[in-house]
Amino acid sequence: MPSVVKLAEWEGVILVAGLCGVVVWKLLTGEISLNYLLYGDARNQASPFFSPGRAQMLMLTVISAVYFLLQVIQNPAKFPEVPNSLIGLLAGSHAVYLGGKAQSLYLGKFRDLADSLVGRRQ
Amino acid sequence: MKNLQFWACLVLAVVAAFIIAIWVPGDPRDKVVAAMEYGALIITFLFGFMVLAAIASGTIDISALLEEKAGTGGASMSRFQLLVFTFVVAICLLLVVVYKHDFPEQIPAGVLTLLGISASTYAISKGIQTGASNGNGNGNDGATPPPGGVIHTTVVAPPEAGGTVTHTTVVSPQTNA
Repeated sequence: MPSVVKLAEWEGVILVAGLCGVVVWKLLTGEISLNYLLYGDARNQASPFFSPGRAQMLMLTVISAVYFLLQVIQNPAKFPEVPNSLIGLLAGSHAVYLGGKAQSLYLGKFRDLADSLVGRRQ
Repeated sequence: MKNLQFWACLVLAVVAAFIIAIWVPGDPRDKVVAAMEYGALIITFLFGFMVLAAIASGTIDISALLEEKAGTGGASMSRFQLLVFTFVVAICLLLVVVYKHDFPEQIPAGVLTLLGISASTYAISKGIQTGASNGNGNGNDGATPPPGGVIHTTVVAPPEAGGTVTHTTVVSPQTNA
C-alpha cells in the first residue's frame, strides 16, 4: 500500500496540474477569451484602443512569472526570495496601468484632452 | 438522483476506509488512523477531480474568467495577471513540498507582496471600471463629446411614470487644431 505522504503528493500534483492544464487548454482553444487583452476603454470613445500600459504590464508579468518559476526549478529546496527591485518594478508597472486606466476612463485619451484644451483656447 | 457524483465520492471513501480497517493487518489504533487518513485523502481527491471534470466538460462555466465587464468579451489585464501569479505561486509551492516532503517553514514576504500587489491592482481596477460606468466616465452623463463627436442618449421612463421615451443628441462642433 502506498504511504499517505506519497499519495498526498500525487494527489496535489494531479489536481494542481489538472487545473492549470484545463485553464491553459481553454485559453488556447479560445473558450476563455483573451480578446482585447491589450486594448483599453476611454471616455467618449465607443471602440477600444491599443493600450501601452497594458502591454508593458503583460511583458513584466510574463518576465516575473518565468523568473520565479526558473528560480524554483533550479533550487526546489526553498521558496525563492523576490528581489526588492522586481517588486518595485512591478509596483511601478501597476501604477502606470492603473493611472492610464483611470485617466482614459475619467478624463478621456490624452489626444482628446489636448484637442479640447486647444479648442477652448481658440 | 441529484448530486450522484457527490454521493459516489462519499461512498467510495467510506468503502476504502472500511477495507483498510478490516483487511489490513496491524494494531487496531494504527488501523483507525490509517483508515481516517486514506479516507480523507480519497474524498479530497474525488471532490477535486469532480470539480476539475465539471470545469473541463463545461458544467462549471469559466469562459468569463478573464472578462472585464460581463458579456462584453473584453479580457481584463489585471485578472489575467492575478491568474498567472496565482498559478505560478501554487506550482512553486507544490514543487517545494514535493521536493522537501514538508511544507515550507516560511513563505517569503516578497511572494506575499507580489500576490498582494496583483490582487490590489485587480480590486482598484474594478473600482475604476465601476466608478466610470456609474456615470463618472464612460456613461457620458452630462459629458460633452470630443470635437466633432456625437453622443446619443435614450432615457425610458418606468411604466408608472407614463413610459415616455426621451432621445437626446449632443453634437460637438469640429475644431481645427
